[in-house]
Amino acid sequence: MIPAQPLLEIKALNAGYGGIEVLHDIDIEMQEGEFVCIIGANTAGKSTILRAISRLVPNVRGTLRFKGVDLAARTAHDIPSLGIAHVPEGRHVFPDMSVEENLMLGAFTARKSTDLKQRMERIFELFPRTRERRAQLAGTLSGGEQQMVAVGRALMLQPKLLLLDEPSHGLAPKVVEEMHDAFVKIHQGGTSILLVEQNVGLALDVAARGYVLESGRVTLKGTSAELNANPAVRAAYLGI
Amino acid sequence: MKRWIAIVVIVLVAMAVPQVLNPSGYWMRVFTLTLLFAAMAQAWNLIGGLANQLSLGHAAFFGIGAYTSTILLLKFGISPWIGMFAAGALGGLAALVIAVPTMRLQGHYFALATLAFGEVARVIANVWTSLTGGPGGLSVPFVPPSFAAYSFKQLLPHAYIALVALIIVTVIFEVIRRGAMGYRLRAIRENAAAAEVIGIDTTKVKLQTAVISGVLTAMLGTLFAQVAVFFDPDTAFSAASISIRVALIAIIGGVGTAVGPILGAFFIVPIEELMNDLFSSGAAGLSQLIFGVILIVVILWRPRGLVTIFEALRARLQGRGAQS
Repeated sequence: MIPAQPLLEIKALNAGYGGIEVLHDIDIEMQEGEFVCIIGANTAGKSTILRAISRLVPNVRGTLRFKGVDLAARTAHDIPSLGIAHVPEGRHVFPDMSVEENLMLGAFTARKSTDLKQRMERIFELFPRTRERRAQLAGTLSGGEQQMVAVGRALMLQPKLLLLDEPSHGLAPKVVEEMHDAFVKIHQGGTSILLVEQNVGLALDVAARGYVLESGRVTLKGTSAELNANPAVRAAYLGI
Repeated sequence: MKRWIAIVVIVLVAMAVPQVLNPSGYWMRVFTLTLLFAAMAQAWNLIGGLANQLSLGHAAFFGIGAYTSTILLLKFGISPWIGMFAAGALGGLAALVIAVPTMRLQGHYFALATLAFGEVARVIANVWTSLTGGPGGLSVPFVPPSFAAYSFKQLLPHAYIALVALIIVTVIFEVIRRGAMGYRLRAIRENAAAAEVIGIDTTKVKLQTAVISGVLTAMLGTLFAQVAVFFDPDTAFSAASISIRVALIAIIGGVGTAVGPILGAFFIVPIEELMNDLFSSGAAGLSQLIFGVILIVVILWRPRGLVTIFEALRARLQGRGAQS
Protein backbone atom coordinates (compact mmCIF):
# COMPACT_ATOMS: atom_id res chain seq x y z
CA MET A 1 0.00 0.00 0.00
CA ILE A 2 1.31 3.42 -0.90
CA PRO A 3 0.98 5.81 2.04
CA ALA A 4 -1.32 8.71 1.25
CA GLN A 5 0.36 12.05 0.75
CA PRO A 6 0.04 14.01 3.99
CA LEU A 7 -1.98 17.22 3.91
CA LEU A 8 0.65 19.05 5.90
CA GLU A 9 4.22 17.96 6.31
CA ILE A 10 6.59 19.87 8.54
CA LYS A 11 10.05 18.41 9.06
CA ALA A 12 13.03 19.83 10.93
CA LEU A 13 11.48 23.29 10.79
CA ASN A 14 13.51 26.11 12.26
CA ALA A 15 12.02 29.56 12.16
CA GLY A 16 12.45 32.91 13.80
CA TYR A 17 12.38 36.65 13.60
CA GLY A 18 15.52 38.56 12.75
CA GLY A 19 18.45 36.78 14.37
CA ILE A 20 16.37 35.07 17.03
CA GLU A 21 15.27 31.53 16.40
CA VAL A 22 11.92 30.66 17.94
CA LEU A 23 11.30 27.17 16.59
CA HIS A 24 13.79 24.33 16.69
CA ASP A 25 13.49 21.12 14.66
CA ILE A 26 9.71 20.97 14.60
CA ASP A 27 8.14 17.82 13.08
CA ILE A 28 4.40 17.91 12.51
CA GLU A 29 2.36 15.82 10.10
CA MET A 30 -1.34 16.03 9.36
CA GLN A 31 -3.53 13.86 7.15
CA GLU A 32 -6.49 15.19 5.26
CA GLY A 33 -9.57 15.45 7.48
CA GLU A 34 -7.72 15.62 10.78
CA PHE A 35 -8.33 17.99 13.68
CA VAL A 36 -5.01 18.57 15.42
CA CYS A 37 -4.05 20.97 18.17
CA ILE A 38 -0.80 22.49 19.32
CA ILE A 39 -0.74 23.28 23.00
CA GLY A 40 1.81 24.86 25.26
CA ALA A 41 2.51 27.89 27.38
CA ASN A 42 2.65 31.43 26.13
CA THR A 43 5.82 32.22 24.13
CA ALA A 44 6.40 28.52 23.43
CA GLY A 45 6.26 29.37 19.72
CA LYS A 46 2.80 28.01 18.88
CA SER A 47 1.73 31.01 16.82
CA THR A 48 5.05 31.01 15.01
CA ILE A 49 4.28 27.55 13.60
CA LEU A 50 1.05 28.84 12.05
CA ARG A 51 2.79 32.03 10.90
CA ALA A 52 5.52 29.92 9.31
CA ILE A 53 2.92 27.89 7.39
CA SER A 54 1.29 31.14 6.20
CA ARG A 55 4.71 32.48 5.28
CA LEU A 56 4.35 35.42 7.62
CA VAL A 57 7.69 34.54 9.22
CA PRO A 58 10.55 35.58 6.99
CA ASN A 59 13.23 33.15 8.14
CA VAL A 60 12.37 29.47 7.82
CA ARG A 61 14.59 26.41 7.32
CA GLY A 62 13.44 22.87 6.89
CA THR A 63 10.59 21.15 5.09
CA LEU A 64 7.24 22.89 4.88
CA ARG A 65 4.86 21.16 2.48
CA PHE A 66 1.14 21.38 1.88
CA LYS A 67 -0.19 18.54 -0.31
CA GLY A 68 3.31 18.15 -1.64
CA VAL A 69 3.68 21.87 -2.49
CA ASP A 70 6.75 23.52 -1.03
CA LEU A 71 5.40 26.43 0.99
CA ALA A 72 8.81 27.91 1.68
CA ALA A 73 8.97 28.97 -1.97
CA ARG A 74 5.67 30.89 -1.69
CA THR A 75 4.83 34.34 -0.37
CA ALA A 76 2.17 35.13 2.20
CA HIS A 77 -0.47 36.32 -0.25
CA ASP A 78 -0.06 33.13 -2.32
CA ILE A 79 -1.04 30.89 0.57
CA PRO A 80 -4.84 31.39 0.60
CA SER A 81 -5.17 30.32 -3.02
CA LEU A 82 -3.54 26.99 -2.13
CA GLY A 83 -6.42 26.31 0.25
CA ILE A 84 -4.99 27.41 3.58
CA ALA A 85 -6.93 29.94 5.60
CA HIS A 86 -5.36 31.54 8.64
CA VAL A 87 -7.29 33.18 11.46
CA PRO A 88 -4.58 35.21 13.15
CA GLU A 89 -4.45 35.82 16.87
CA GLY A 90 -6.24 38.88 18.13
CA ARG A 91 -9.38 39.13 15.99
CA HIS A 92 -8.03 40.80 12.89
CA VAL A 93 -11.22 42.13 11.32
CA PHE A 94 -11.47 45.18 9.07
CA PRO A 95 -13.07 47.53 11.61
CA ASP A 96 -14.59 50.10 9.25
CA MET A 97 -16.17 47.55 6.95
CA SER A 98 -19.48 45.84 7.48
CA VAL A 99 -19.67 42.18 8.48
CA GLU A 100 -20.71 41.30 4.94
CA GLU A 101 -17.82 43.22 3.40
CA ASN A 102 -15.42 41.45 5.77
CA LEU A 103 -16.80 38.08 4.71
CA MET A 104 -16.70 38.93 1.01
CA LEU A 105 -13.07 39.96 1.30
CA GLY A 106 -12.33 36.50 2.70
CA ALA A 107 -13.22 35.09 -0.70
CA PHE A 108 -10.90 37.62 -2.29
CA THR A 109 -8.79 34.99 -4.05
CA ALA A 110 -11.94 33.15 -5.12
CA ARG A 111 -13.65 36.22 -6.56
CA LYS A 112 -14.66 34.43 -9.71
CA SER A 113 -16.66 31.78 -7.83
CA THR A 114 -20.39 31.98 -8.36
CA ASP A 115 -21.46 30.46 -5.04
CA LEU A 116 -20.28 33.25 -2.74
CA LYS A 117 -23.84 33.90 -1.56
CA GLN A 118 -24.26 30.26 -0.50
CA ARG A 119 -20.89 30.31 1.23
CA MET A 120 -21.97 33.35 3.21
CA GLU A 121 -25.29 31.69 3.98
CA ARG A 122 -23.44 28.71 5.51
CA ILE A 123 -21.43 31.06 7.71
CA PHE A 124 -24.63 32.78 8.85
CA GLU A 125 -25.98 29.34 9.77
CA LEU A 126 -22.82 28.49 11.69
CA PHE A 127 -22.77 31.83 13.53
CA PRO A 128 -26.35 33.16 13.56
CA ARG A 129 -25.21 36.35 15.23
CA THR A 130 -23.19 37.35 12.17
CA ARG A 131 -26.44 37.28 10.18
CA GLU A 132 -28.10 39.65 12.64
CA ARG A 133 -25.13 41.99 12.42
CA ARG A 134 -24.45 41.65 8.70
CA ALA A 135 -24.76 45.37 7.94
CA GLN A 136 -22.97 46.57 11.07
CA LEU A 137 -19.36 47.77 11.05
CA ALA A 138 -17.12 44.98 12.30
CA GLY A 139 -15.26 47.37 14.62
CA THR A 140 -18.45 47.95 16.64
CA LEU A 141 -19.02 44.26 17.42
CA SER A 142 -18.21 42.51 20.69
CA GLY A 143 -15.01 40.52 20.95
CA GLY A 144 -16.76 37.22 20.41
CA GLU A 145 -18.68 38.48 17.40
CA GLN A 146 -15.48 39.83 15.87
CA GLN A 147 -13.88 36.43 16.30
CA MET A 148 -16.87 34.87 14.54
CA VAL A 149 -16.38 37.30 11.67
CA ALA A 150 -12.67 36.48 11.52
CA VAL A 151 -13.37 32.74 11.42
CA GLY A 152 -16.21 33.25 8.94
CA ARG A 153 -13.95 35.31 6.70
CA ALA A 154 -11.44 32.45 6.64
CA LEU A 155 -14.20 29.95 5.81
CA MET A 156 -15.36 32.01 2.83
CA LEU A 157 -12.31 30.61 1.08
CA GLN A 158 -13.62 27.05 1.62
CA PRO A 159 -10.15 26.09 2.76
CA LYS A 160 -8.73 22.56 2.88
CA LEU A 161 -6.84 23.54 6.00
CA LEU A 162 -7.96 26.04 8.61
CA LEU A 163 -5.31 27.52 10.91
CA LEU A 164 -6.78 28.86 14.13
CA ASP A 165 -4.57 30.93 16.40
CA GLU A 166 -5.86 31.27 19.98
CA PRO A 167 -9.48 31.67 18.90
CA SER A 168 -10.78 31.62 22.46
CA HIS A 169 -8.32 34.11 23.86
CA GLY A 170 -10.05 36.85 25.86
CA LEU A 171 -13.57 35.58 25.24
CA ALA A 172 -16.30 34.89 27.77
CA PRO A 173 -16.62 31.17 28.70
CA LYS A 174 -20.02 30.87 27.04
CA VAL A 175 -18.69 32.31 23.76
CA VAL A 176 -15.66 30.01 23.97
CA GLU A 177 -18.01 27.04 24.12
CA GLU A 178 -19.99 28.36 21.16
CA MET A 179 -16.75 28.77 19.25
CA HIS A 180 -15.61 25.25 19.93
CA ASP A 181 -18.97 23.82 18.94
CA ALA A 182 -18.57 25.68 15.66
CA PHE A 183 -15.09 24.23 15.15
CA VAL A 184 -16.44 20.71 15.60
CA LYS A 185 -19.10 21.46 12.97
CA ILE A 186 -16.54 22.93 10.58
CA HIS A 187 -14.41 19.81 11.00
CA GLN A 188 -17.40 17.54 10.41
CA GLY A 189 -18.00 19.49 7.21
CA GLY A 190 -14.70 18.17 5.88
CA THR A 191 -12.23 20.94 6.70
CA SER A 192 -8.96 19.94 8.35
CA ILE A 193 -8.10 22.11 11.33
CA LEU A 194 -4.83 22.97 13.01
CA LEU A 195 -5.67 24.70 16.27
CA VAL A 196 -3.29 26.58 18.53
CA GLU A 197 -4.62 26.99 22.06
CA GLN A 198 -3.52 28.06 25.48
CA ASN A 199 -6.73 26.65 26.88
CA VAL A 200 -5.44 23.08 26.90
CA GLY A 201 -8.58 21.49 28.35
CA LEU A 202 -10.77 22.85 25.58
CA ALA A 203 -8.25 22.09 22.85
CA LEU A 204 -7.99 18.44 23.84
CA ASP A 205 -11.78 18.30 24.01
CA VAL A 206 -12.28 19.15 20.35
CA ALA A 207 -9.10 17.93 18.65
CA ALA A 208 -8.28 14.27 18.10
CA ARG A 209 -4.53 14.63 18.41
CA GLY A 210 -2.12 17.12 19.82
CA TYR A 211 1.45 18.29 20.00
CA VAL A 212 2.91 19.86 23.13
CA LEU A 213 5.32 22.68 22.47
CA GLU A 214 7.87 23.90 25.00
CA SER A 215 10.42 26.62 24.29
CA GLY A 216 10.14 26.08 20.57
CA ARG A 217 10.45 22.27 20.61
CA VAL A 218 7.86 19.53 20.38
CA THR A 219 8.24 17.69 23.68
CA LEU A 220 5.23 15.40 23.49
CA LYS A 221 2.67 14.20 21.00
CA GLY A 222 -0.24 11.83 21.04
CA THR A 223 -3.98 11.46 20.89
CA SER A 224 -6.02 13.80 23.02
CA ALA A 225 -6.86 10.97 25.39
CA GLU A 226 -3.18 10.13 25.84
CA LEU A 227 -2.26 13.74 26.45
CA ASN A 228 -5.17 14.18 28.81
CA ALA A 229 -3.94 11.22 30.83
CA ASN A 230 -0.30 12.28 30.78
CA PRO A 231 0.76 13.34 34.28
CA ALA A 232 3.15 16.00 32.97
CA VAL A 233 0.44 17.60 30.83
CA ARG A 234 -2.02 17.41 33.68
CA ALA A 235 0.38 19.08 36.07
CA ALA A 236 1.67 21.74 33.73
CA TYR A 237 -1.46 22.77 31.78
CA LEU A 238 -4.55 21.38 33.36
CA GLY A 239 -3.69 22.33 36.91
CA ILE A 240 -4.64 18.93 38.24
CA MET B 1 -29.45 62.09 -8.05
CA LYS B 2 -28.94 65.08 -5.75
CA ARG B 3 -25.26 64.32 -5.81
CA TRP B 4 -25.13 64.46 -9.61
CA ILE B 5 -26.97 67.78 -9.68
CA ALA B 6 -24.45 69.20 -7.21
CA ILE B 7 -21.54 67.95 -9.32
CA VAL B 8 -22.96 69.43 -12.54
CA VAL B 9 -23.63 72.79 -10.84
CA ILE B 10 -20.10 72.94 -9.42
CA VAL B 11 -18.52 72.11 -12.79
CA LEU B 12 -20.68 74.74 -14.53
CA VAL B 13 -19.69 77.37 -11.97
CA ALA B 14 -16.03 76.42 -12.37
CA MET B 15 -16.45 76.81 -16.14
CA ALA B 16 -18.09 80.21 -15.73
CA VAL B 17 -15.48 81.66 -13.37
CA PRO B 18 -12.75 82.24 -16.01
CA GLN B 19 -15.27 84.15 -18.12
CA VAL B 20 -15.64 86.86 -15.48
CA LEU B 21 -11.94 87.12 -14.64
CA ASN B 22 -9.39 89.20 -16.53
CA PRO B 23 -8.17 86.67 -19.17
CA SER B 24 -4.49 87.21 -18.25
CA GLY B 25 -4.91 88.81 -14.86
CA TYR B 26 -3.61 87.98 -11.42
CA TRP B 27 -6.78 86.19 -10.27
CA MET B 28 -6.86 84.08 -13.42
CA ARG B 29 -3.39 82.87 -12.42
CA VAL B 30 -4.55 82.17 -8.88
CA PHE B 31 -7.60 80.28 -10.17
CA THR B 32 -5.48 78.17 -12.56
CA LEU B 33 -2.91 77.35 -9.87
CA THR B 34 -5.70 76.47 -7.46
CA LEU B 35 -7.10 73.95 -9.95
CA LEU B 36 -3.64 72.52 -10.61
CA PHE B 37 -2.90 72.16 -6.92
CA ALA B 38 -6.29 70.56 -6.35
CA ALA B 39 -5.48 68.01 -9.07
CA MET B 40 -2.05 67.36 -7.56
CA ALA B 41 -3.50 66.93 -4.09
CA GLN B 42 -6.01 64.51 -5.63
CA ALA B 43 -3.16 62.48 -7.19
CA TRP B 44 -1.38 62.58 -3.83
CA ASN B 45 -4.63 61.41 -2.22
CA LEU B 46 -4.23 58.01 -3.91
CA ILE B 47 -1.11 57.34 -1.86
CA GLY B 48 -1.85 59.50 1.16
CA GLY B 49 -5.55 58.77 1.41
CA LEU B 50 -6.21 55.34 -0.05
CA ALA B 51 -2.90 53.62 0.68
CA ASN B 52 -2.49 55.62 3.90
CA GLN B 53 1.16 56.40 3.18
CA LEU B 54 2.04 60.02 3.88
CA SER B 55 4.32 61.00 1.02
CA LEU B 56 6.39 64.14 1.40
CA GLY B 57 8.26 63.58 -1.83
CA HIS B 58 5.75 64.28 -4.57
CA ALA B 59 7.84 67.23 -5.76
CA ALA B 60 10.14 64.60 -7.29
CA PHE B 61 7.43 63.48 -9.75
CA PHE B 62 6.17 67.02 -10.27
CA GLY B 63 9.64 68.34 -11.09
CA ILE B 64 10.39 65.41 -13.38
CA GLY B 65 7.18 66.21 -15.26
CA ALA B 66 7.97 69.91 -15.61
CA TYR B 67 11.53 69.25 -16.74
CA THR B 68 10.79 66.35 -19.10
CA SER B 69 8.28 68.15 -21.31
CA THR B 70 10.24 71.41 -21.29
CA ILE B 71 13.55 69.73 -22.20
CA LEU B 72 11.83 67.79 -25.00
CA LEU B 73 10.36 71.04 -26.28
CA LEU B 74 13.67 72.93 -26.03
CA LYS B 75 15.91 70.27 -27.54
CA PHE B 76 13.62 68.54 -30.02
CA GLY B 77 10.69 70.89 -30.49
CA ILE B 78 8.26 68.22 -29.24
CA SER B 79 4.83 69.58 -28.30
CA PRO B 80 4.19 69.53 -24.53
CA TRP B 81 1.02 67.55 -25.26
CA ILE B 82 3.26 64.65 -26.26
CA GLY B 83 5.95 65.60 -23.75
CA MET B 84 3.30 65.23 -21.07
CA PHE B 85 3.08 61.49 -21.72
CA ALA B 86 6.85 61.11 -21.66
CA ALA B 87 6.70 63.01 -18.37
CA GLY B 88 4.06 60.60 -17.08
CA ALA B 89 6.17 57.58 -18.04
CA LEU B 90 9.25 58.95 -16.28
CA GLY B 91 7.19 60.02 -13.28
CA GLY B 92 5.74 56.51 -13.00
CA LEU B 93 9.22 55.01 -13.27
CA ALA B 94 10.51 57.36 -10.57
CA ALA B 95 7.56 56.42 -8.35
CA LEU B 96 8.39 52.74 -8.79
CA VAL B 97 12.06 53.30 -7.97
CA ILE B 98 11.17 55.29 -4.86
CA ALA B 99 8.32 53.03 -3.77
CA VAL B 100 10.13 49.69 -3.94
CA PRO B 101 12.43 50.47 -1.01
CA THR B 102 10.12 52.83 0.91
CA MET B 103 6.66 51.22 0.72
CA ARG B 104 7.52 48.75 3.46
CA LEU B 105 8.06 51.69 5.78
CA GLN B 106 5.16 53.08 7.71
CA GLY B 107 4.10 56.38 9.19
CA HIS B 108 6.88 58.83 9.92
CA TYR B 109 9.53 56.62 8.39
CA PHE B 110 7.83 56.60 5.01
CA ALA B 111 7.26 60.36 5.20
CA LEU B 112 10.93 61.01 5.96
CA ALA B 113 12.21 58.60 3.31
CA THR B 114 10.05 60.20 0.60
CA LEU B 115 11.06 63.67 1.77
CA ALA B 116 14.68 62.63 1.32
CA PHE B 117 14.01 61.28 -2.18
CA GLY B 118 12.37 64.57 -3.16
CA GLU B 119 15.41 66.48 -1.93
CA VAL B 120 17.75 64.14 -3.79
CA ALA B 121 15.82 64.87 -6.99
CA ARG B 122 16.19 68.60 -6.35
CA VAL B 123 19.93 68.31 -5.81
CA ILE B 124 20.34 66.23 -8.97
CA ALA B 125 18.41 68.82 -11.00
CA ASN B 126 20.66 71.55 -9.62
CA VAL B 127 23.86 69.67 -10.41
CA TRP B 128 23.03 68.09 -13.77
CA THR B 129 23.57 71.38 -15.56
CA SER B 130 24.00 69.95 -19.06
CA LEU B 131 20.47 68.56 -19.02
CA THR B 132 18.51 70.85 -16.72
CA GLY B 133 20.36 74.14 -17.01
CA GLY B 134 21.20 73.82 -13.31
CA PRO B 135 20.26 76.49 -10.76
CA GLY B 136 19.71 78.97 -13.60
CA GLY B 137 16.45 77.22 -14.40
CA LEU B 138 14.63 76.72 -17.67
CA SER B 139 12.40 78.99 -19.73
CA VAL B 140 9.68 77.43 -21.80
CA PRO B 141 10.54 78.76 -25.31
CA PHE B 142 8.11 80.98 -27.11
CA VAL B 143 6.16 79.12 -29.80
CA PRO B 144 3.55 80.72 -32.08
CA PRO B 145 0.26 80.35 -30.20
CA SER B 146 -1.82 77.31 -31.14
CA PHE B 147 -3.62 74.59 -29.29
CA ALA B 148 -1.45 71.87 -30.85
CA ALA B 149 1.69 73.61 -29.63
CA TYR B 150 0.15 74.14 -26.15
CA SER B 151 0.89 77.84 -26.47
CA PHE B 152 -1.64 80.60 -25.80
CA LYS B 153 -1.74 84.38 -25.76
CA GLN B 154 -3.80 84.45 -22.60
CA LEU B 155 -3.98 82.53 -19.35
CA LEU B 156 -7.64 81.69 -19.95
CA PRO B 157 -7.08 78.40 -21.90
CA HIS B 158 -4.68 77.24 -19.17
CA ALA B 159 -7.48 77.61 -16.64
CA TYR B 160 -9.73 75.33 -18.70
CA ILE B 161 -6.97 72.78 -19.24
CA ALA B 162 -6.33 72.74 -15.50
CA LEU B 163 -10.06 72.27 -14.89
CA VAL B 164 -10.18 69.30 -17.27
CA ALA B 165 -7.07 67.86 -15.58
CA LEU B 166 -8.70 68.18 -12.15
CA ILE B 167 -11.85 66.44 -13.40
CA ILE B 168 -9.85 63.59 -14.96
CA VAL B 169 -7.72 63.01 -11.86
CA THR B 170 -10.80 63.15 -9.64
CA VAL B 171 -12.62 60.59 -11.81
CA ILE B 172 -9.57 58.30 -11.71
CA PHE B 173 -9.46 58.67 -7.93
CA GLU B 174 -13.15 57.80 -7.54
CA VAL B 175 -12.98 54.84 -9.93
CA ILE B 176 -10.04 53.40 -8.00
CA ARG B 177 -11.61 54.13 -4.63
CA ARG B 178 -14.87 52.38 -5.48
CA GLY B 179 -13.39 49.47 -7.42
CA ALA B 180 -11.66 46.26 -6.43
CA MET B 181 -8.38 48.08 -5.98
CA GLY B 182 -10.06 50.48 -3.56
CA TYR B 183 -11.25 47.53 -1.48
CA ARG B 184 -7.77 46.06 -1.44
CA LEU B 185 -6.33 49.39 -0.34
CA ARG B 186 -9.00 49.76 2.31
CA ALA B 187 -8.28 46.30 3.66
CA ILE B 188 -4.57 47.10 3.82
CA ARG B 189 -5.29 50.43 5.51
CA GLU B 190 -7.58 48.93 8.12
CA ASN B 191 -5.54 45.86 8.92
CA ALA B 192 -2.44 45.02 6.92
CA ALA B 193 -1.86 41.66 8.59
CA ALA B 194 -5.41 40.50 7.92
CA ALA B 195 -5.18 41.74 4.32
CA GLU B 196 -2.11 39.61 3.75
CA VAL B 197 -3.65 36.43 5.21
CA ILE B 198 -6.71 36.69 2.97
CA GLY B 199 -4.43 36.77 -0.05
CA ILE B 200 -3.93 40.44 -0.91
CA ASP B 201 -0.47 41.17 -2.26
CA THR B 202 -0.05 44.28 -0.12
CA THR B 203 3.27 45.32 -1.63
CA LYS B 204 2.02 45.04 -5.21
CA VAL B 205 -1.16 47.01 -4.56
CA LYS B 206 0.78 49.80 -2.88
CA LEU B 207 3.31 49.89 -5.73
CA GLN B 208 0.53 50.12 -8.33
CA THR B 209 -1.01 53.01 -6.40
CA ALA B 210 2.33 54.78 -6.12
CA VAL B 211 2.97 54.45 -9.85
CA ILE B 212 -0.45 55.81 -10.81
CA SER B 213 0.04 58.72 -8.41
CA GLY B 214 3.53 59.38 -9.83
CA VAL B 215 2.32 59.30 -13.45
CA LEU B 216 -0.51 61.77 -12.75
CA THR B 217 1.67 64.11 -10.69
CA ALA B 218 4.35 64.24 -13.40
CA MET B 219 1.75 65.02 -16.09
CA LEU B 220 0.47 67.85 -13.90
CA GLY B 221 4.07 69.05 -13.67
CA THR B 222 3.97 69.56 -17.44
CA LEU B 223 0.81 71.66 -17.14
CA PHE B 224 2.51 73.72 -14.44
CA ALA B 225 5.57 74.31 -16.63
CA GLN B 226 3.33 75.66 -19.40
CA VAL B 227 1.63 78.06 -16.99
CA ALA B 228 4.76 79.11 -15.13
CA VAL B 229 6.87 79.58 -18.31
CA PHE B 230 10.00 79.82 -16.14
CA PHE B 231 11.09 77.53 -13.30
CA ASP B 232 14.26 76.33 -11.59
CA PRO B 233 15.07 73.21 -9.53
CA ASP B 234 14.26 74.95 -6.26
CA THR B 235 10.72 75.76 -7.37
CA ALA B 236 9.85 72.61 -9.34
CA PHE B 237 11.38 70.23 -6.78
CA SER B 238 10.54 72.32 -3.71
CA ALA B 239 9.86 70.38 -0.53
CA ALA B 240 7.93 73.25 1.07
CA SER B 241 5.96 74.71 -1.80
CA ILE B 242 5.25 71.47 -3.68
CA SER B 243 5.62 68.29 -1.57
CA ILE B 244 4.42 69.57 1.76
CA ARG B 245 1.90 71.96 0.26
CA VAL B 246 0.22 69.20 -1.75
CA ALA B 247 0.02 66.95 1.32
CA LEU B 248 -1.26 69.88 3.40
CA ILE B 249 -4.02 70.67 0.88
CA ALA B 250 -5.29 67.09 0.99
CA ILE B 251 -5.05 66.91 4.78
CA ILE B 252 -6.78 70.26 5.41
CA GLY B 253 -9.50 69.34 2.93
CA GLY B 254 -10.00 65.77 4.07
CA VAL B 255 -7.77 62.80 3.30
CA GLY B 256 -9.21 59.85 1.40
CA THR B 257 -12.22 61.69 -0.01
CA ALA B 258 -12.62 63.01 -3.55
CA VAL B 259 -13.96 66.35 -2.32
CA GLY B 260 -11.23 66.93 0.26
CA PRO B 261 -8.32 67.97 -1.99
CA ILE B 262 -10.58 70.28 -4.02
CA LEU B 263 -11.88 72.01 -0.89
CA GLY B 264 -8.38 72.16 0.52
CA ALA B 265 -6.93 73.75 -2.61
CA PHE B 266 -9.69 76.33 -2.88
CA PHE B 267 -9.08 77.20 0.75
CA ILE B 268 -5.28 77.18 0.94
CA VAL B 269 -4.10 78.56 -2.40
CA PRO B 270 -6.28 81.71 -2.52
CA ILE B 271 -5.81 82.45 1.20
CA GLU B 272 -2.06 82.15 0.85
CA GLU B 273 -2.17 84.57 -2.08
CA LEU B 274 -4.45 86.94 -0.20
CA MET B 275 -2.16 86.93 2.83
CA ASN B 276 0.84 87.73 0.65
CA ASP B 277 -1.16 90.50 -1.00
CA LEU B 278 -2.34 92.05 2.25
CA PHE B 279 0.65 91.68 4.54
CA SER B 280 3.76 91.36 2.40
CA SER B 281 4.32 95.11 2.67
CA GLY B 282 4.39 94.77 6.47
CA ALA B 283 7.09 93.13 8.57
CA ALA B 284 9.04 90.32 6.93
CA GLY B 285 7.37 86.95 7.43
CA LEU B 286 4.13 88.48 8.72
CA SER B 287 2.03 86.97 5.92
CA GLN B 288 3.46 83.48 6.53
CA LEU B 289 2.87 83.87 10.25
CA ILE B 290 -0.79 84.78 9.76
CA PHE B 291 -1.21 82.00 7.20
CA GLY B 292 0.30 79.54 9.69
CA VAL B 293 -2.07 80.66 12.43
CA ILE B 294 -5.05 80.21 10.09
CA LEU B 295 -3.90 76.65 9.27
CA ILE B 296 -3.53 75.79 12.96
CA VAL B 297 -7.00 77.12 13.74
CA VAL B 298 -8.54 75.13 10.87
CA ILE B 299 -6.77 71.91 11.87
CA LEU B 300 -7.95 72.35 15.47
CA TRP B 301 -11.48 73.15 14.35
CA ARG B 302 -11.74 70.35 11.75
CA PRO B 303 -9.08 67.73 12.53
CA ARG B 304 -10.49 65.38 9.90
CA GLY B 305 -10.61 68.04 7.22
CA LEU B 306 -12.94 70.67 5.84
CA VAL B 307 -15.17 67.96 4.30
CA THR B 308 -16.53 67.27 7.76
CA ILE B 309 -18.32 70.62 7.56
CA PHE B 310 -20.75 68.99 5.13
CA GLU B 311 -21.38 66.08 7.49
CA ALA B 312 -22.06 68.50 10.32
CA LEU B 313 -24.38 70.59 8.13
CA ARG B 314 -26.30 67.51 7.00
CA ALA B 315 -26.67 66.32 10.59
CA ARG B 316 -27.95 69.76 11.63
CA LEU B 317 -30.45 69.94 8.76
CA GLN B 318 -31.77 66.48 9.56
CA GLY B 319 -31.99 67.43 13.22
CA ARG B 320 -34.03 70.50 12.37
CA GLY B 321 -36.23 68.44 10.06
CA ALA B 322 -36.97 66.05 12.89
CA GLN B 323 -37.96 68.89 15.24
CA SER B 324 -40.45 70.58 12.93
